[in-house]
Amino acid sequence: MRLNKDLSVVLVMLGVLLALPIFFHGDPYVMHIIIMSLIWGGLVIPWDLMMGYAGIFTFAQFAFFVFGGYATAMLTVYLGISPWLGIFLGGCVASVVGLVLGVICLKLKGDYVALVTFAFHMILVPLFRSGKEFGIPTGGPIGIMGIPPLAVGGFIFPSIDKVPWYYTAVGLAFLVVFVVYKVIHSSFGLAFVSLRDAPAFSQSIGIGAYKYKLIVFVIAAFLTGIMGAFYAHYAGIMSPRILGLDIFLIVMVMLVIGGIGKFPGVMIGAFIVTFLSEFSRPLGVYRLVMFGAIVVTSVVLMPEGIMKAVDLVSPAMARFMERKIGQLKSKRPFA
Amino acid sequence: MTYQLAQVLISGIALGSIYAVMASGMSLVYGVLRIFNFAYGSFAMWAAYFAWFLFNHFAWMTYPAVFAIVLPAMFLFGLAVEKIAIKPLRQRANWEILAIIATTGLALFMDNTSLAAFGPIQKDLPFIIKGTMNLAGFEVSRHEMLTLGVGISIIASLQVFLKRARYGLAMRALAQDMMGAKIVGIPLNRAFGYTFALSAVLVGISGILLVPRYFISPSGGWEIMIKAWVIAVFGGMGSFIGTLYAAFILGIVEAIVIWQLGARWPIVIWFLILIVTLIIRPGGLLGARE
Repeated sequence: MRLNKDLSVVLVMLGVLLALPIFFHGDPYVMHIIIMSLIWGGLVIPWDLMMGYAGIFTFAQFAFFVFGGYATAMLTVYLGISPWLGIFLGGCVASVVGLVLGVICLKLKGDYVALVTFAFHMILVPLFRSGKEFGIPTGGPIGIMGIPPLAVGGFIFPSIDKVPWYYTAVGLAFLVVFVVYKVIHSSFGLAFVSLRDAPAFSQSIGIGAYKYKLIVFVIAAFLTGIMGAFYAHYAGIMSPRILGLDIFLIVMVMLVIGGIGKFPGVMIGAFIVTFLSEFSRPLGVYRLVMFGAIVVTSVVLMPEGIMKAVDLVSPAMARFMERKIGQLKSKRPFA
Repeated sequence: MTYQLAQVLISGIALGSIYAVMASGMSLVYGVLRIFNFAYGSFAMWAAYFAWFLFNHFAWMTYPAVFAIVLPAMFLFGLAVEKIAIKPLRQRANWEILAIIATTGLALFMDNTSLAAFGPIQKDLPFIIKGTMNLAGFEVSRHEMLTLGVGISIIASLQVFLKRARYGLAMRALAQDMMGAKIVGIPLNRAFGYTFALSAVLVGISGILLVPRYFISPSGGWEIMIKAWVIAVFGGMGSFIGTLYAAFILGIVEAIVIWQLGARWPIVIWFLILIVTLIIRPGGLLGARE
């Protein structure tokens, strides 16, 4: 794997995150905020893949998240399957939803996709609230409670000590990050760049937008569904509350602050905004007013987001890292 | 049953006339500026909150006075939003996606501002005229008949404006061919600003007229935004007659759904209509086949 700017930023983040519990393991509140940052990061990274790279204007991220969460909640609570299997199946359910939505959406023009996916998000609230009327035990407006925590062997992840949850969250979030990284830096990524920059030419040489976009839709849905399922086990409850527009707004700020199409900026955005959101709780109702204003102003004034700063620092840093690694390689005797 | 059905139909038609106003503002902006305004419904809610504020702080307030104050305010607000949040995006490479995000952010900003200013409790406006009248043997509310009249006359005057007035012609030219319009000397930015402001006025009118039927609430705008868009799509984007048909058909459908299934379900039905339309006939009822 060639070391480039994106990957080095990811590796720096991963290194910092792996070391953080050394300082904060005794503080469940800080650990909780970081875990939530990782969960939102795992939701917003696939969103950026769709919005910023594949050019799909989708607002269905929370739909995937909620389907993943509800799937594992129902399977573990009512059928008693293992939470780990539940997380995987949550991702599968979400990817089926993604496939169906993708088949409907990808024949449409960009703005129509935004509308259809947003409307889909909106109708999920009444649907999940009244699941019983269709014979699906969604738990109504309260949601499903008592979702079992994760467990390894006989060790059940405690709710006080967040360290096991933390490392699972880091693992899953960086699984998402690396899958998205691989997609962006594969033939997919090239296809998207060419479709974006020269749509007529790339179609004439046989790059089919539909196929690639549909696969991305399914991958993004799967990854988001996994994060939603992890969230369900972490929180212990899954309710339609997660579809509220306040959370939607906060995640949108992450996307904008991080920079659309500036992988992995939105991950940094997720951390900044989750902490900002926690610390600005005293503002009460004005907190969301502020976030709304941030979205508009930063789209207008700073559409590249936080990665603009990384762009300024990173060439020097990447050169430094490559040199170091080059030195390490040359020291190996049998390389 | 038949009597009740007839009443539902009449109120569906009255609703449809407001929906027609609502959807024409939406498709006007989409046609001319080529952006999808996610804050559209929030504009309606702000207009309605403004009207509520006027009614509650001035005892002498009447509907004509409310419209005379709110609509110019909406026009100026629309101009300002276009200048501040939409115009700077137009030069950018990925302006489509940025416009969607900017207007969604704006919508959530507006909703939460309403929440901060007026609280989560739903608000109501008085009827324009109280009481009922007899129409061919049916009791119909005077208010609904009046909104039907107002809706139809606004649609008619919008049509005259687009066919005759200088800026109306400019808007249609822009919708057909932006480059051509630029070449013949239409001032793009000013025409875009006026179009956006006009759509803000139209949605402001429909927001106020919808209120006795739907309450004013901070997040009530989303349903309006989705409905306006579904009507525009169902009727055929850019087709005026199609939008009218769609507004009346969907107004009646909604009245029947609420009557038969309850108030929770119209939005789900609207979504299904949207999906079916997009799958079977993406051009809409009367739009060009794509």
